[in-house]
Amino acid sequence: MTLRPDSVAELAAFISDAASARRALRLVGRGTWLDADEAVRDAEPLALTAFDGVIEYEPGDLTITVGAATTLAELDAVTAAHHQWCPLAPWGGDTGSVGATISTATSGPFSHALGLPRDLVLGLECVDGTGKVLRPGGRVVKNVAGFDLVRLMTGAWGTLGAITRVSLRLRARPAADETWHLPLDATRADEVQQELRRSMTPPIACELVREDQLSGAIADGLLVRLAGNAAVVAAGRADLQRRADARAADGALWTTLREHAPSRVPRRPRSPAVQALNREVKHAFDPAGVLNPGILQ
Amino acid sequence: MSLAASLRAIVGDTHVLDRPAELLVYESDGLPGYQRTPSVAVFPGTADEALAVVRTLARAGVPFVPRGAGTGLSGGALADGAVLLGLNRLKRIIAIDPVRRVARVEPGVVNVTLTKAATPFGLHYAPDPSSQTACTIGGNLAENAGGPHCLKYGVTLNHVVAAKVALPDGTVVELDSDDGGYDLLGAFVGSEGCFGVALELTVKLTPNPERIVTLLADFTSIDDAAQTVSAIIAAGILPAALEMMDQATVGAVEASIYAAGYPTDAAAVLLVEVDGATVGLDDDVQGVDGICRAHGARDVRIATEPAARARLWQGRKKAFGAMGRLAPHLVVQDAVVPRTKLPALLARIAAIGDENQVRVCNVFHAGDGNLHPNIPYNANDRDEAARVHVAMRQIMQACIDAGGTITGEHGVGLDKLPYMDALFTPDTLDGMCRLRDVFDPLRRANPGKVVPVRYCRERRPATATTDGGRRTDDR
Repeated sequence: MTLRPDSVAELAAFISDAASARRALRLVGRGTWLDADEAVRDAEPLALTAFDGVIEYEPGDLTITVGAATTLAELDAVTAAHHQWCPLAPWGGDTGSVGATISTATSGPFSHALGLPRDLVLGLECVDGTGKVLRPGGRVVKNVAGFDLVRLMTGAWGTLGAITRVSLRLRARPAADETWHLPLDATRADEVQQELRRSMTPPIACELVREDQLSGAIADGLLVRLAGNAAVVAAGRADLQRRADARAADGALWTTLREHAPSRVPRRPRSPAVQALNREVKHAFDPAGVLNPGILQ
Repeated sequence: MSLAASLRAIVGDTHVLDRPAELLVYESDGLPGYQRTPSVAVFPGTADEALAVVRTLARAGVPFVPRGAGTGLSGGALADGAVLLGLNRLKRIIAIDPVRRVARVEPGVVNVTLTKAATPFGLHYAPDPSSQTACTIGGNLAENAGGPHCLKYGVTLNHVVAAKVALPDGTVVELDSDDGGYDLLGAFVGSEGCFGVALELTVKLTPNPERIVTLLADFTSIDDAAQTVSAIIAAGILPAALEMMDQATVGAVEASIYAAGYPTDAAAVLLVEVDGATVGLDDDVQGVDGICRAHGARDVRIATEPAARARLWQGRKKAFGAMGRLAPHLVVQDAVVPRTKLPALLARIAAIGDENQVRVCNVFHAGDGNLHPNIPYNANDRDEAARVHVAMRQIMQACIDAGGTITGEHGVGLDKLPYMDALFTPDTLDGMCRLRDVFDPLRRANPGKVVPVRYCRERRPATATTDGGRRTDDR
């Protein structure tokens, strides 16, 4: 049976009960692409679908607060109406939730230029493994008040707390935005990718693509997204054309590329000392070990 | 052997201070108005010495306070009877990798020294607190320091790639942004010396822009200046810096040796810097110029030559120092509000200043909504000090009510402790204490800072950690 709390208070009660009974829970956002690993499948599903929708959006602040179950597609649509966007755009596509993206710290093609999930999260609300509601961070773009539970929860794979809401940094959509395809062999594509990323006007995305990966949509090479004011994009375009037989491509290819990417998998720390610290963090926030047990430990 | 003698055996006689007259130097940091005297001050000269000191302190069970250059503005480096662990002698730049664009440094390297060392490679270290000519990279890490150019380039958190850390019990861990597990590096950045001491850091270096243009716009209304800030950002232009100074600040700067030629009759000035590749930059400059004028700027000065730009910046970077001419003490605040709330907040701050008959000087990172409402005053005038205290509380509460925070880049330290429970719930503060207890279960590192002690419950750590019980990463 799936638990489906309607409020933060109810979620806190469910987790608190599970902790008392030492009953394992598996956190589920949209349930679309977060499958983590085998260990949690045996646990009781705890659906976070009620925490959905925009909570606060003041476009002039370039920040937004949404329920964790809000889909990436909805985040994109809501912000697009104000000519803004959130560059989270994780590998896996737009059907997943904001909460899962933050919980798994899944990056995307824009992360290299515009920031990883940890760089884009301003604050969050979560219920930890003891049933306590934590609200670290805030919704302003600069904040060093207190120890950083926001970074701790980002990428914790729901093993320390169930995220219910997230505040994110947004950007204005660029005035000019073009996608180009450079047909190149793998070695050359790799070189050009490095050069472009190190250029004075780096593209906002620059990914190696393989024909078989995109169901034959485009040939092997590089997919490049230029963005900025018109002059910057024009110069970038000229630069690409000097490097290869660059061809204008459909911007929708980015979504296709993301949808075809393999799921991110949790990784344990490399060294024994950091593994020991990890265990202590887990113990501090989920002493009964009921939240997504097995992952990261 | 006494603790001081044990420490002398590690670092040498001249690098341990325990006479009251010597310790007087270390009773304050960059924030005037607080004095706390350490019992001993110790200054290791190498990472090995620093680790030996940390382990000696752990064995002795003694609390300690790490300190970089002591330029912090929150009282975070004050040691009240604890051992002061100065890391400013660890100032080796170990390696600069111009291809990967990273530098490995010891924590005592001065911020601007790293930038100078990176200059031959066309690179710089981007976070640029106003104290950058004195503050250390290790201190920046502990405080998650910002600076004017963080609007475009991000704060310290966004620039630290890895850190080798001595936990308070003497365990050494390598925290790496590329490692699996929890983001412990992210948790360590900004932990204000409460989670341990960084012995070595790997930080990103940023390519120098091809061209930099600095604009100075002056306004007859502080509200117009504040509206301009949001308009520039909304237009999709991301300036490298977007700073505001009010008339009180401009007056203080212009009367000082840091005079930058700001118009003293302006209600507010905006300092806007646009940088990057030459191509397309003029479009952004024209965009900023046009937005400023459309929002009522009397004049917009545009500086492109290094000397002219440096002069415009000098007044901003030295503004806190210039305020020193106005009164013997200065309250420094660091609140952040959502950008669109700036006009209302600035009006509210002015009203609070009037009501309490105190003079507020605003100089701040407007693009981030990061306010620095500073109040020069005489702490020996008890009536004035009381009014300043009331005004500060009211300003902080106004910022919290507007959806903001109490510190954007200076840290909580000692100074902002009283505001923490207005901002966070008791459960959230308890969660922060639990995170601290993972790194420092005995609460010996920078005790009494960041989270009010009453929110930290007694609890038993998951594993015993006395006497260096945790396994240490190979060094």
